[in-house]
Formats: sequence, C-alpha cells, structure tokens
Amino acid sequence: MTPFELAEPTKLADAVKLLDPDDPTVRPIAGGTALMLMMKAGVFRPAKLISLRGIESKYSGIAASGGGLRVGAMTTLNALERSADVKKLAPLITRTMLTLSNVRVRNVATVGGALAHGDPHMDLPPVLMALGAKLTVISPNGERSVALEDFFTGYYETVLEKNELIAEAHIPAQGAKRAAYMKVTTGSADDWPALGVAVVLDSDGKAIKSARVVVSAATTKATRVKSAEAVLAGKTVDDKLLAQAGDAAVEEAEFIADVRGSVPYKRELLRVYIKRAVRQALDGGAQ
Amino acid sequence: MTMTHDAPKAGSQVGRSVPRLEGRDKVTGRAEYTHTMRLPGMLTCKLFRSTVAHGRIKSIDTSEAKKVPGVFAVVTIDDVMKVIPDPYYGPAFHDQPILAHEKVRFVGEPVAAVLAMDPHVAEEAAQLIVAEYEELPAVYDEVDALTTKTYVHDVLKPAGTFADLKHLKDARDTNTALDYRLRKGDVDKAFAQAAHVFEHEFKTQKVLHLPFEPHASIADYKDTGVTVYTASQGPSFVRTEIARLLGWPENKVRIKVPYLGSGYGAKLYIKLEALVVALSMIARRPVKLALTFEELFYQITKHPSTFRIKSGIDKDGKIIARKCEVFWNGGAYADIGPRVTQKSGLTASGPYEIDNVWIDSYALYTNVTPAGALRGFGVPQLVWAYESHSDMIARALKLDPVEFRRKNLLREGRPHATNTIIKDAAVEKVMDHVLDRMNWSKPFDKSTGVVKRGRGFGISIKAVITPTTSVAIVNVSGDGSVTLYCGTIDMGQGSDTAMAQMVGEVLNVPTETVRVVPRDTDVTPYDMGTLGSRSLFHMGHAVQRAAADARDKLKALAREVGEPEGSNIPVRDLFVKKYGMQAGNVIGTGIFKPDYIPPAPGTGLSENVTAFWMVSGAGAEVEVDTETGHVKITKLVNVVDVGKAINPRIVETQISGAALMQLGFTMFEKMHIDGGQVTNASLADYKIPGFHDVPTVMDNSHVDTNQANGPFGAKGVGEVATFCVSPAIANAIDDAVGVRLTELPLNPESVYRAIRAKAGKPLEDE
Repeated sequence: MTPFELAEPTKLADAVKLLDPDDPTVRPIAGGTALMLMMKAGVFRPAKLISLRGIESKYSGIAASGGGLRVGAMTTLNALERSADVKKLAPLITRTMLTLSNVRVRNVATVGGALAHGDPHMDLPPVLMALGAKLTVISPNGERSVALEDFFTGYYETVLEKNELIAEAHIPAQGAKRAAYMKVTTGSADDWPALGVAVVLDSDGKAIKSARVVVSAATTKATRVKSAEAVLAGKTVDDKLLAQAGDAAVEEAEFIADVRGSVPYKRELLRVYIKRAVRQALDGGAQ
Repeated sequence: MTMTHDAPKAGSQVGRSVPRLEGRDKVTGRAEYTHTMRLPGMLTCKLFRSTVAHGRIKSIDTSEAKKVPGVFAVVTIDDVMKVIPDPYYGPAFHDQPILAHEKVRFVGEPVAAVLAMDPHVAEEAAQLIVAEYEELPAVYDEVDALTTKTYVHDVLKPAGTFADLKHLKDARDTNTALDYRLRKGDVDKAFAQAAHVFEHEFKTQKVLHLPFEPHASIADYKDTGVTVYTASQGPSFVRTEIARLLGWPENKVRIKVPYLGSGYGAKLYIKLEALVVALSMIARRPVKLALTFEELFYQITKHPSTFRIKSGIDKDGKIIARKCEVFWNGGAYADIGPRVTQKSGLTASGPYEIDNVWIDSYALYTNVTPAGALRGFGVPQLVWAYESHSDMIARALKLDPVEFRRKNLLREGRPHATNTIIKDAAVEKVMDHVLDRMNWSKPFDKSTGVVKRGRGFGISIKAVITPTTSVAIVNVSGDGSVTLYCGTIDMGQGSDTAMAQMVGEVLNVPTETVRVVPRDTDVTPYDMGTLGSRSLFHMGHAVQRAAADARDKLKALAREVGEPEGSNIPVRDLFVKKYGMQAGNVIGTGIFKPDYIPPAPGTGLSENVTAFWMVSGAGAEVEVDTETGHVKITKLVNVVDVGKAINPRIVETQISGAALMQLGFTMFEKMHIDGGQVTNASLADYKIPGFHDVPTVMDNSHVDTNQANGPFGAKGVGEVATFCVSPAIANAIDDAVGVRLTELPLNPESVYRAIRAKAGKPLEDE
C-alpha cells in the first residue's frame, strides 16, 4: 500500500464536492472492509481517499418513519443488527445479519458501502432489494431517488456517477409479509455465498398474493427474478408451483462460474433454494 | 477478580496436563515472533515475481523501480552471484536459485527483490519492475510429468545428503526427482491366483499450510559472521545450508528462532533464509522479508497426488497382492518431496499384512509452486486412497468393512511390507476403539428423506522419518534451578511444556520451574528439525538422557562432598559445599539417534526401517443433502496410538487440531490453477475451516498403550490424526447415498454431480 491523501470532511455536501468524476484514483471510503483489501492487493492505488466517517451523525442513524425505516448510509451493519426498530419493522434484516460475514466486519462495514461496492456476493443487497428499498443519492448537483432494484448495472457496477454518494436508504416496513433469506456456501461455513436467495411474500396461508424474489452471488449482480415472482403471484404453494418458480428463475438469471461452483451447479442450487426460501418464509421465516 | 494457581509440585511430572509454559505470554501478546521483529537500520524486502509458469528470462528492467525515492537497492540474481557464486539451495536437491536464474519455473517465483526502509516504498517500486520472458511449454500434472518431453530442469542436482538420490546426479531429460520402489514377493503371480482383482485411481488436490504467521526471516550479515532471525522449524539445517552457500564454518552462522505462529511443515529446511542473507551481504545492513498471506500461495504447498492402487483378493477375503503407483506433484523445486516420496511411499500398501507388494512412488517436477511436507509427510494422500479402496473392495464383495479389514490387519510381531516387524503399533486396538466410539455395532438410521445419513471409518499406519538425530543439554545452576537447551521448535504443539515435563520427571522438580531456552544455534545444540511427529520421541530421548546425565553428575557431586548415599540435601547446598558459595553448574548432555537399516536398493526392503510406528483411525457420521450435495459432518471420531501421553490435554488438542485441518483439505480447500496461475490466491477465495465447520460431535481420544522404546513410553502425535479423516468421510458419503468420490475435495458440487451421475442424469460440465 502506497501513501495517499486522506480527506475527512464533516458534511456530506462537502464530501461530494471533494470527489473528482474524472480521476479514478479519488474515491470515498466508509467502513473500508472491501476497499482496504483492494488496496492491500494492489488492485486499487488511491491518490486521495475521502473518508465519510466525520459526516453528519444523521447519516449514521436509523429512524422509524412513515411505516418504514430510514437508514443513514454510514450506519454500521452492527447497528442494523442491534436496532430494535429494524427488528420490529424488518425482522428479515436482523436475521440476515447473523450469518453476514463476521462480527469484525459488521462492526465497521456500512450500509452505504455494502451497496455502493456492487459486489454480487454481499448478503445485504438482495435482502434490501426484496424488501423494496429505495436509495437517496446526492451529488454536487442535488439529490435523486433510485430504487435498489434499478441500482446495480453489472459485476461491481452501479448507477452511481463518480461524484455521487448514497445518503440514505428507505426500507418499507415488512408488515405482515413473510420473508426469508438463504445464504448458500460451498466452501467453509463463513465463506462468501455461492448463492443468495431472498423472498418477501404477501400471502394468506399458502396462498401467495404477490412475491418479490431476489437472486445474488451466483449471478453477475443482485437481481429480481420477475418471472419467478409472476409464477408465484396469485397461486397456492405446492411442490409443482415451486418447481415452476425455480425453472423460471433459472431461465431468467445470468449466472457466473467461479471457485464456488460451475454455472450448471448454481442453476440447480437456485432451483432448490427458491423452493426452500419460499417454504421457510411461509413457515415463519425462522433461520 | 482473583486468580489462583496450584503451587507447582515435584514428582510425577510426566502424564500430567501441565498448562503450556508459554501460554500466558502468547495470549497477552508478549511472546516474540519473527514477523513482528525489527532491528535498528533494517531494510525491508519486497519481491517481484514471475507471471509465467515456465520461461527463459530475456530481460529484467529495474530502472523505474530504482528511481522511486527511498529505494535502497533493486537486486537480481546477477547481484546475488557476485556474493554467492553458486546460488542454488535445497534439502534434497540444490535446485532452487536464490532468485530466478536464467529461467522461471512457476508463476510466483521470485525474480527480483527491492530493498527500502519503508515497506510501502519497496512494494510500490517492485510493481514498476518489468521482465520479458521467452515462454516455454509447461507441465502441471504429475502423471503427465513422467512422460512429457517438457522438462522443468535441464539437469538434476542432488544435494548429496541422501544416498538414494545419488544415482540422479547429472540426470537429464527427466522430471523424476526420485523413484522409490518396493518389491516383495511376486505380485504378478499372486494377481493371477486371486479370486478378485480391484484397481482404482485416487487423486488429491493442491492445498497449502497457511500458518497464522506467514514466513518471515531477517539476516544481519557482517564479515565476522551472520545472524539470521527466522520463523523456521529447522534452525540446524538452515545453519548448515547457509554455511555451505557462504563457504563458511557453521560457527560463523547463527540462527535464532523465537516462537512460531505455527508451521505444519511449511517452515522446514530452508525457505527465505538464503535470500535474506544474500540481500544483507549486498546491502551491508539487516534485511527483513516477511511474506503476506497472498504470497504464501507461491512459497510451499502440499503435494497433489495420483495413486493407482490394485489389489488381489483370495476367495476368503484375504488380500494376497497389492500394487501401488503413486505420483507426487512436487512443483518447480524438489524441496523435501523426494523424502515424502520415499518415507511415505514405503507405507503405501497400508496397515495390512500382504505377502506380495509392489510399490512405485515418483517425485515429479512440475511448473507450479513447490510442494513439501504438510502435517503427515504424504501419508494423508496415501491413506485417502488405500482406505477408500478398502471400503470399495468390501462393498463390491459384500463383505463387512470391519471384518474385511480385521482379516488383513497387520498385527504385533508380523512383517510389514518392508519386512520390518511390527512392534508397538496398536492397529487393531485403535480400530476397535474407533468402532466403539462410533457405536458401530448398534443399528444406524440412514433416513429415507432428502437428507440421507451414512457412516464410515478408516485405519492407518505411518513410519517415522528415520534415521534422524537430536541433541539436548540440561544445565543445573548453583541455586539448583534447571535450564533445558534443545532445538525442538515450539510452534504451538506444546513441545516446550512436554520437554520440560520430562526434565522435571528425571530431576524431580516441578515442570513449571524448568526454563526452556529459546532456539539459537549458538546456544542450543543440533536437532534435525521439528517435523513428522519425530520430536517427542527423538528429542524426548535426548532430553531424558541429558537430564539423567545431570542427575548422575549431581549424585557424583554429592559423593564427592561427602554426602551419605540417599542424602536429601538441597541441590543449592551441594554447590555451596563444593564451591564455598552459590556457584558452578552441572551440565548433562544427551544424544539420540535410532538404529536403522536403509532399504535395500531395488527391493526397498529393510528389517528396521522406522524408529517407531504411528497409528491412527477415524470414523465419521454424515448427513448428505441429496438435492445440493452438501455434506454435514455430525460426528467425527479420532483415535490415535501415542504410547503413553506425556501431557494428555496437549495430546487432545493436537488430535483435534490435526483432524480439523484435514477436514478442510477433505471438504473444500483447493488451490485453483489455470494455466499455471493460482486463481484464488487469497484468504477471500481460499477458505479454511472456521468454528462453524467443526463437526457437531468431535470425539478425540488415544488408546492406552506403551511405546517400549520411547521416552517414558511415549511417541509423537502432531500429525497422526490427519491420516484417516478423508477416507472416513468419503466412506460415510458412500454409505449414505451410494456414490464414490475418488478425488478431493468432497465439495458439494462434486457430491451432487456424483449423485446425478448415479441416477443416470449427469449434470453438464459448464
């Protein structure tokens, strides 16, 4: 790691002004759990890092508002894990945190960083996407709102411009919806997932009114599989329906092969885990 | 909070679970490690490494690197050869250049070194070096390496240390760094007579040690002598090899080794030491090289292997012939591969009494990271094959896997394949203990749902690396306090504690009062190395003898000063009587080298091939998810024969540590290599077991035995529990779902593909 300049603005508005859209060696840093690894590996050699640690405390807070959660981008995953509001309004997030990386990472990694990094292996993006989260994004030119399902554009790629930062995430309350996230590892138990499947179901017993189904890790980006959602919507769950939903998801998702599994294997995993995730959600979403 | 300690007691030191003597320093962060050590004026080295697997070096451009402010020097082999004209080193072959010389032979091979006070400066400069190569065809597979026309080395250069390598001197047009053979009886005739013949091939993958403290070495060279601080498992060998490279007597070379953040065989023989010595000679300042975790993937690994095993069985289920062909993928430099090939190869036929045995075991050069010893010295690769093979035969012949083994087991007093008579090897006792801990005779619910259950076991034997030498010194000071000087490296296995227990036992002092001197070749005497579970036996003998020598000298001193026989006078008073004040020393010395008969050329037979036998067994219960191939290990039983346990608690932790390490190698660890390039060379993509991977039930134990020729009836334990984990789990998977995996790791995709193939619906490749 070579020396670099470190800026520590105290306002988010100042932070976005310090970004330079034309210079890829200038980047923001939040928890640093991903960026530091890239720097240590020599993959990224910054000239200047903009630390977001000093910005206004409201961007590190969680507030229950308007039937949902407003989560500042600098909120740590640990704070998310321990928040009573999160547990009440979106218990799926609380459950997900138990198997998300490890306590050392959760203590410093942030919600904004986990999203902006665009790594398809992360656990938080599919969960927030299935819950229907929206992001507020700011730049020197003002702010805009982006639905998380429209946020990722490819492998480590997002819609963020080089002078934009995520300010906060808005997560609708889970309410009576049934939800589950299943992280599937093929190496050690604490490995990155080979597959992540998040489902949020508006249902009455086994009768599903509508469904949101998100696939991650096995794919180039966290992706809503709308064809699978369409299969489930308005139907009563049985083995045949779940098999159809799995087939639809496999048809729609764009898989990638890596050390965690081949594409044909990940397809089979998805078929199985769509089924298991829906069943787990209907059984109360207990992990 | 108050803390209480039991007051240390004299008497009965051996057999007591003494807490580790160094444990408090380690957990409070006060223990010394090379990785965190600094010397005044020290330069840091960062390496520029090869990006091609096999090539001739056309040019190395260091000009941009040299321009980086703060760079002290950029060094290539040309600079090294000005101070060390013949820059090749290694324990079996002098085949590894200090930096790449004329050729590169694997991706990651060090090509140039940058020195700077600031490691970040050195790292930045190293990235500015440019090398051009004429790429050559490369060989990666161990079986291909035997027949290909692509040769990793133009000419072989045996070190001369080992008699059985001498015939390879100046050999050309070969990748074979050792061809060990064993011939007993007439296998062809026996196969012709056999009622059944089974032939299977097994493979193991490339994995690595990943010590928590990566390799680190510091050299401080002066014309009057050189001191090397190094994370090494074998300082005596490092000293010999550095002295040879410099053309110096050994007493000008001082090797100091603090505690090690584990080793597992990665830090044996010579690793970074020759390079840092050369760099310190050039820089005339202390130089440190400490690897990152990512660089470990280019230092040393376990041997991948291919094992073709063929057995002839008579109508009664007796194995009458066994033919073993083992190919060891040694990587670009031999390291200790030839020793693995021979010393493990000789037990390739397993813990069975077979009249006709034919073994060929080949150490092969390939264009990948070199391979060496890893917690088992090759034996886990062999047991993986022969204990899977045992179950496959039993299954095919519809024999009970226990009874099939029992019919063939090597028993006390019977000849091993080498002709060495089995002594103090509790093979059957260990197997029975595994079965007992598994409740094997009770009904077992295999389940009929999506998740199927199964169980399996394995049994194994290993010969200790023989012959090797250990020397120890016990010093009794004028106040009666006792200090032990021995070269065994405590790398986490608790050897300091065990050795101190033996001293305490002989001299009747509490273990906790015995000082064990940190390893320093100026101070601690010769030891062959901390490897292959040899130390407790070999160094234990030397320590026992040194302590007994000191005890005898104290008795003589008592007689000399007129004490009556049986006097109980405090030791301090003895010295006062002798010297008129608290003064003087009593020095006891001990040397141990076991008897040994080298394997006969051509047949590999020897009536005394090992100082002792190691025995272990393992049993596994698994749950296999038939929809995904995931295997959950619900119970893992590990049983070893350690003779008498010197420290039962440490024995238990060595068993569990070894078994869990092998569990990672069994279930998921794998270096993925594409065109010679390791594609997952980081801890983000190469995972080792964590707490959540520990089996639901871990049942670790040792059987009650006595190693008659061992110190206090004891023998080694460090690696023994690795041997049977892989076949026990594969056998359990077969029991659960009826599929047989013959290649490690047994990861979910492999299991799932096998299930699909068995169902006649194979999954497409990509």
